[in-house]
Amino acid sequence: MSEQEIFDKVVKILEPYVKNEEAFASVVKETSILEDLKVNSARLVDVVLAFEDEFDIEIADEDADAVVTVGDAVRIITEKLG
Amino acid sequence: MSTLSERDRIALRIQREVGRFFGPLWIPLIACALRFGFGYRIRGVRELRQRFLALRREFDGPLLICSNHLTMIDSAIIATALAPSWWYCLHFSALAWNIPERRNFASSYINNALVYLVKCIPIVRGGDRKDIAHVLDSLTYLMGLGEVALIFPEGGRSRTGRVEIGSAAYGVGRIVKTLPGCRVLCVYLRGDGQDVHSDLPVRGDQFDMEFSCIEPTSEMKGMRATRDISLQIMNEIVALEARYFDARQ
Repeated sequence: MSEQEIFDKVVKILEPYVKNEEAFASVVKETSILEDLKVNSARLVDVVLAFEDEFDIEIADEDADAVVTVGDAVRIITEKLG
Repeated sequence: MSTLSERDRIALRIQREVGRFFGPLWIPLIACALRFGFGYRIRGVRELRQRFLALRREFDGPLLICSNHLTMIDSAIIATALAPSWWYCLHFSALAWNIPERRNFASSYINNALVYLVKCIPIVRGGDRKDIAHVLDSLTYLMGLGEVALIFPEGGRSRTGRVEIGSAAYGVGRIVKTLPGCRVLCVYLRGDGQDVHSDLPVRGDQFDMEFSCIEPTSEMKGMRATRDISLQIMNEIVALEARYFDARQ
């Protein structure tokens, strides 16, 4: 799976949790999930679990803590997919 | 894997000992302020204390208190309801550590010093995930030393006045998952004058409090286990809330 495909899927998964539609419209790898997209921090676990389901991977708590930007999510998923 | 360094661990143990040293001053002071300054009363406090003390006699392993959250001083009221001041001075580890919102409680040097003294580790809700993980690891470490901790699993005060499962923050699940045999004291606290959330309960308010002790476990792995355990705790608090309102119908 290409990085762009992973990025697109990540963005699609994030969509229902996003509270800042304006930032979401111009989402890039550097976009912060919590600060820019205003995703509720408590819902970040649900987002990560959705990543696990979509990509059939397992993400540890420590890896999830490292997810700050959309690009971080893409990087971790890419690593897990090997 | 813990984010705590040896230096962090030493700092936490020092904080605990500083709090313990000054405990005979600040613990009764807070209890008196609640009772005589604000005029708060807790119904059935004697029975609550007997039950809690019996629980601590029977179980001295890791204990996490999880409660609904309606005011900024819920943790102090819960502590007062569970045991008398003198008992906390003798059993300092049973007085729960708290993780108050930094913006509310630790915004100045004086507040920081007070928060340090009274077994608190400030947290920025919704802040950097690594900082939050560090605070949770601190609590986990302290609980491993036999300390009791208190977390509001809703993350913040309930905006609707009722327990909001949808607001569940999953930090509680992470702590319980990390500490084998950890029990959770689920608490429901509500003052007669408390319709929705507020900074403080109304002066002279009377409180009802109920608790139950559970040992949540999960067959799941990773973050699913974290979520599963957190939801078990939330469901127990919701059940306590239902019992509270059923009793008033």
